[in-house]
Amino acid sequence: MNPAQGGWVIMLSLIVAMILMVLRLPEFMPDLGLLRPQWLLMVVFFWVVETPHRLGLVVAWLLGLLTDVLLAHPLGLNAFILAGTTWVGWVFYERLRMYSVFQQCAVLFVIVLLAEACELFALSLMGRVGLSWELLTTPAVSMFVWPFLYVLLTRLRIAARVA
Amino acid sequence: MRETGAGYLFSGLALLSVVLLVLELSTRLLTPMRENLATLVSPIYMLAEAPYSIAGVVDTFTSSHEDLRAQNARLQRRVLELAQISQQYVALRAENDRMRELLGSQSRLPYDVLVAELVGIVPDADTHQVMLDKGRDAGLEPGLAVVDAHGLFGQIVEVGAFTSRVLLITDANHAVPVRVNRNGVRSIAGGTGERAQLLLEDVPISADIVDGDVLETSGLGGRFPPGYPVGVVQSMLVSPTSTFAEVTIRPIAQLDRSRHVLVIFQIESTSGAGP
Repeated sequence: MNPAQGGWVIMLSLIVAMILMVLRLPEFMPDLGLLRPQWLLMVVFFWVVETPHRLGLVVAWLLGLLTDVLLAHPLGLNAFILAGTTWVGWVFYERLRMYSVFQQCAVLFVIVLLAEACELFALSLMGRVGLSWELLTTPAVSMFVWPFLYVLLTRLRIAARVA
Repeated sequence: MRETGAGYLFSGLALLSVVLLVLELSTRLLTPMRENLATLVSPIYMLAEAPYSIAGVVDTFTSSHEDLRAQNARLQRRVLELAQISQQYVALRAENDRMRELLGSQSRLPYDVLVAELVGIVPDADTHQVMLDKGRDAGLEPGLAVVDAHGLFGQIVEVGAFTSRVLLITDANHAVPVRVNRNGVRSIAGGTGERAQLLLEDVPISADIVDGDVLETSGLGGRFPPGYPVGVVQSMLVSPTSTFAEVTIRPIAQLDRSRHVLVIFQIESTSGAGP
């Protein structure tokens, strides 16, 4: 993540994604915590597919460690998830770029679902959760948010000339 | 070249993640690492809370003269009420100390408290945790009890340099030793994962607990100071097939509304109940 050549845009988008992960709604609004998409995973996925040489595995893994502390998850959980996302994006980026944004949605659904499954596994070991249909809400919401995020980040990328 | 290199690196990182996970779940070796990382990410929580802090500041600047006068009058009345209660408290306290002296037991030490403000809520539906704006710089330690203006709130589980994380009493992994304030019947109030419900664990059906009883911390286990209200008994279900009753408690603290809480410093005894 070299700050030159628009690297600051990558950093900024990652920081904003982390803020969105912990942002809470005002008290008078209903609790929509279950519908929170995997913001950071999506932003990492975007940058890896579009600019594979700018965001490395180690950086994604370290970001994951920070996320673990941010979300009070066991250390290593989000690190593994983000490194995995980066790796998948990196191996398939040529193919993923050819996909339409809706095909990307389907791929993202599977990735987020796998991430949620990892999360469920690790949190169950801590004795925190049980399996329920709520497992599917985050992948579904992430999938619906993806086209908008894709357009937004693409414009940012072009405006800031991230190579 | 590309495939193999990245594959090996990813395998290595995955293995490292699993090692970290296992260490985290079974030991406390990683606590210092977590605390350092918590210091690093605390600005993220501050930024996420910024809209609310800014709204608060704007609100104070724009509230009208009349509103402020009304609020001032209300607060002055409240201070008078509380001052009157505290006068009685001093007398009662002196009396209590004399009685304890007669019985030969130690008088209770007053606790130091620190006011802290909520700066975030851990965004996870299945755990109840919040972030406070004070950390190691203010002398906080994991294990300290947290109360709000009404009752017991939770306990500190992780301390960064400037923030700390609090586990609420309603979290499914939390339990607090309590006693009924009317007759001293002891029990343990466990969280259920529901916002407004605690459960007493293994209460015999013969126990003298009725609806409306107030439960306070008993101080057993040494983690929580004794005498802080925890909850009110909501219902006591006796099933004909079981020797234990199911007692549900409504927490007294305003777990989803309080923005200011008190951290209680106490002399920690050696046997602490784990978080």
